[in-house]
Amino acid sequence: MINELLLQFAHWMEAQEYSQMLVAGYYSYSWLEATHVLTLMVSIGSLFIIDFRMLGWVMPNVPASTIAARLHKPMIIGFVIMFITGALLVYAKPVETIQSLWFRMKMILLLLAFINAWIFNNRLKSAKGNWDNDPVAPGPLRTGAIISLVLWCGVVTLGRYIPYDWVDCTNTTNTTILWAAGCVDQLNAL
Amino acid sequence: MLGSILSQYARSLAVFAVFLLMVLVEALGIREAIYPGLESFFNWMNQSSWIGVIGTTYGSVYATVEALHLLSMAVLGGTVLATDLRLLGMIFKDVPSETLVTGTHKCFRWALLMAILTGIFCAAGVGNKVYFMEVFWIKMLVLIAGSCFMLFIKQPLLTSRPHAQINPWTIRLVAVTSMLIWFTVAATGRWIGFS
Repeated sequence: MINELLLQFAHWMEAQEYSQMLVAGYYSYSWLEATHVLTLMVSIGSLFIIDFRMLGWVMPNVPASTIAARLHKPMIIGFVIMFITGALLVYAKPVETIQSLWFRMKMILLLLAFINAWIFNNRLKSAKGNWDNDPVAPGPLRTGAIISLVLWCGVVTLGRYIPYDWVDCTNTTNTTILWAAGCVDQLNAL
Repeated sequence: MLGSILSQYARSLAVFAVFLLMVLVEALGIREAIYPGLESFFNWMNQSSWIGVIGTTYGSVYATVEALHLLSMAVLGGTVLATDLRLLGMIFKDVPSETLVTGTHKCFRWALLMAILTGIFCAAGVGNKVYFMEVFWIKMLVLIAGSCFMLFIKQPLLTSRPHAQINPWTIRLVAVTSMLIWFTVAATGRWIGFS
């Protein structure tokens, strides 16, 4: 049911004039993709420095909360640009993207990464003051940093897999993959 | 007298010599003479070297290494931005810039090493294509220039004395140059995928 609704929504987006313009433009899609990827250096670059500091890998002599607070703004700016360009990339090729197994897995990891970031932020606020100058953060924050690193590495890797067609709807007959990727037409044809 | 002056600027002179060499290589037509000979090396990298064979045979391995390349570039970019924006006085105003310059450099070097190693793997996988791409060679030149700039100019300058004793405009110029160089490396890298 959800797959049918998503596919209908994707077809509706694909029929929009602006969606077709983004794909048809000689450079528009490339510019969007390049901006999406290059902003990694701002968003994930800042995030990883915060995580590395929690693990004591960078600047152990600078209070951890200072690093987290000062890099928060560039990190958020980076993520906002990434989400806008990411949404436009989906809007440009909605059917292909919504029926990509990698895209769906990426969205799940993205959701988990945000839940982890929210928990991490709450822990950071409650732990503030007691450990700030220690070279390594307390256990729960270190765990949060490691989970963050793993999840974001997963998000980037799955994002990189999206253009590859190994498990595209037309390249597999495995019903589990077809269902997970939302290949409605192929499932109905079986 | 001359010896003591030269020894103070040994690294800067070495970088200048590298740039001079590059200009001579271009001006004397050495690059044009070498370039055709490199094609067989790139073909060997792509078709016969073990990294090229893995890259062309296993698409999933190639894509995973590409992701590692992106991640290392993200870390590299993060360290460069944190340091350079601090040098420009835009963030981390309450942390001494010397602390950031020394604190992020180890991470930068690891990220650069990782980016180069994964980059070699990625280039080997498409060696027969990148050889003909102008943007690939631009990236290589900027990467060499950037690495020399970071290791032999920026870092030695910023760790040689307290930043208060360095002309503020020199610091700003170094920061802007550094950001432009690494942005160009990343942007040309992305453009290889579109070419």
